Amino acid sequence: MSETHEHIVVEAWWAKALRIAAVPLVSVLLAMAIGSVIIWLSGFDPIAAFRALFQGALGGQRQISETIIRATPLIFTGLAVGFGFRASLFNIGAEGQFIMGSLGAAWLGLLLAGLPTPVAIPLILIGAALFGAAWAFIPALLKAKVGAHEVITTMMFSWIGLYLSSWIVSGPLKEPGSIPQTTMLSSNVWLPSFDRLIPGLIPVRAHLGFVVAVLLAIVVLLVLRRTTLGYSVRAVGLNPGAAENAGISIARTTVYALCISGALAGLAGASEVLGTNHRMFDQVSAGSGFGFTGIAVALLAKNHPIGVIFAALLFGILQAGAGTMQLETGISVLIVQIIQGLVIFFVAAETIVTWFVKRRQKLKLEREEAVDAG
Amino acid sequence: MLGNLLNPDLFASALRLATPIALAAIGGTICERSGVVNIALEGIMLVGAFCGVAVTLLAQASSVAFIAQNATWIGLVAAVISGVLFSGIHAFGAITLRMDHVVSGTALNIMALGLTGFVLTILNGFTTGRNTAGASTAVRHMLNPVFDFATQRSGNFLQTVWYWIDGVFLSLTPIAYIAIIVAVVMHWALYRTRWGLRLRALGEHPKAADSVGVRVIASRYAAVLISGALGGLAGANLSLEQVGSFSENMTTGRGFIALAANIFGRWTPIGSYLASLLFGFAQALQLRVQGVEFLAKIPVQFFLMFPYVLTVIVLAGFMGRAVGPAAVGKAYEKE
Repeated sequence: MSETHEHIVVEAWWAKALRIAAVPLVSVLLAMAIGSVIIWLSGFDPIAAFRALFQGALGGQRQISETIIRATPLIFTGLAVGFGFRASLFNIGAEGQFIMGSLGAAWLGLLLAGLPTPVAIPLILIGAALFGAAWAFIPALLKAKVGAHEVITTMMFSWIGLYLSSWIVSGPLKEPGSIPQTTMLSSNVWLPSFDRLIPGLIPVRAHLGFVVAVLLAIVVLLVLRRTTLGYSVRAVGLNPGAAENAGISIARTTVYALCISGALAGLAGASEVLGTNHRMFDQVSAGSGFGFTGIAVALLAKNHPIGVIFAALLFGILQAGAGTMQLETGISVLIVQIIQGLVIFFVAAETIVTWFVKRRQKLKLEREEAVDAG
Repeated sequence: MLGNLLNPDLFASALRLATPIALAAIGGTICERSGVVNIALEGIMLVGAFCGVAVTLLAQASSVAFIAQNATWIGLVAAVISGVLFSGIHAFGAITLRMDHVVSGTALNIMALGLTGFVLTILNGFTTGRNTAGASTAVRHMLNPVFDFATQRSGNFLQTVWYWIDGVFLSLTPIAYIAIIVAVVMHWALYRTRWGLRLRALGEHPKAADSVGVRVIASRYAAVLISGALGGLAGANLSLEQVGSFSENMTTGRGFIALAANIFGRWTPIGSYLASLLFGFAQALQLRVQGVEFLAKIPVQFFLMFPYVLTVIVLAGFMGRAVGPAAVGKAYEKE
């Protein structure tokens, strides 16, 4: 007894991290193993495939920049979905809030182009966050007031947002010409790319949005750990009954949590518009999927804000490297999508392990009962 | 103004467009009534659409005459079976492993998109004729003599009736008829059979159902697999009947409209069908707005938004209360 007690006390931080990260790590490895089998079954060499993939994602400054470009919006949407999960809210409509955030940024970017950069960018970011929060507000209100499930309402709002933005991008905000897209933003509202910030770097596309995302992850962590709001969110998520008894309003916490989640997803849109594309495209034809991948990121990170950064980088690597893999080996980039789906399934099916353990215990018990009876 | 719009073709088109949504929506109804959320319908449809086309092509190439001649029907059966198998993963995850139903569904949707697209790139160039469409002309030929007397004199009232019946109902493909039958039969089964009563009890109060001897786990599995079969059928309707080929992500959100239709239809099979019909009608109208001035001014996107906006309004309680089964989405553990 005393030994186990001692063991718990001296458990190092890295041992604890490893214990927590065990299921996600195993899930990723399992998903990649099954992906390899699929690649092999289709007549390709899985080792060559993954070599090309990692080469394409991490092989040089430009490649790493592309990985960061993919990971940046995923950090935001991962934080968004994860924050919702903490209040046991499933914000499956992060995609819609992402789209509305993009729309907000594209619109404000055109509107505030005259302001100096240090004023314009924070204003646009706040505006985009508000757009995202607004898009989550009605589902939040419906959840709090009439109990309409947020999975359905945020999903419906996601589609409404998709078509609304599609209309705005091909109508009121359309750049003259045949392509449905907004006018290119003036460069003083762009989030600066890293080569402008760090002298000596080759020209890259990765931008300040990544830094904002990482800082935001820390802020979210602090909000969850150190503030009353964070405490309420976690309490409602863990045990709504007990939270209510303790005087926490479930309705108010629900509205706050879902709106914050929406704001975070909206920021992902702003980062894409201000940093990566400098305009907004029609999402019907060029759908990002960042919202949906955000679900995978949050699940893989087990909703931990710092874990989200690593999970997003992992998916960033897979997505950025997939193109090189397809080019060099002829394997479709869609293999990454399959792996992504498998990761979600395995992480969420943590119980697969416990299920097998229970089954074995049950069998053992039955065997013992049989022996007793015999 | 609407005169040139209101023709049999519009209504036939609404029925056609409603079919895949309705089948998936009824699948969703059965599934949710048993207490399992199924947002994987989009993925199930996609897998069904894919397998339907793939197996049809394989069967067409068969040297056995019977198989080659009935290739499309074999493809249709394959679509249903693939839907059942794929939904089996969801059943295993949601019921046996007690995963969050929405997470399991999301994973399957992403996987379906990846898998079908991935295999498609391997089997490049991938089309088939819409062979099942032929069956309905046979029905029309059979019924034609009955209405012969009506078509002999022009301007006749009966002729107009026949013109409408022929235009709206006799130009459909087999699965469109199956969908109407499924809606009626499932509705009857849900409210008039012992199976239906037990299924509804499962979604409301599984513990009570269990205490009177309903096998919760097995019945829920059955419900999920039925929804998989209907989802697969919906996919077959899309790929084998409407388009005649498979393309990446060809369901384009119909599985999610189906979820909306299920809610709009208040978790009942006939309700789901009628809601799908309404959504299908909006879509059919959108495809024909060019001819009508005041409709043409409305951006296409607003027609596309229509099902989702309606569903939110229903959920908000502006059109009476819309409440799903009480125990939906909750894992059941026997004590």
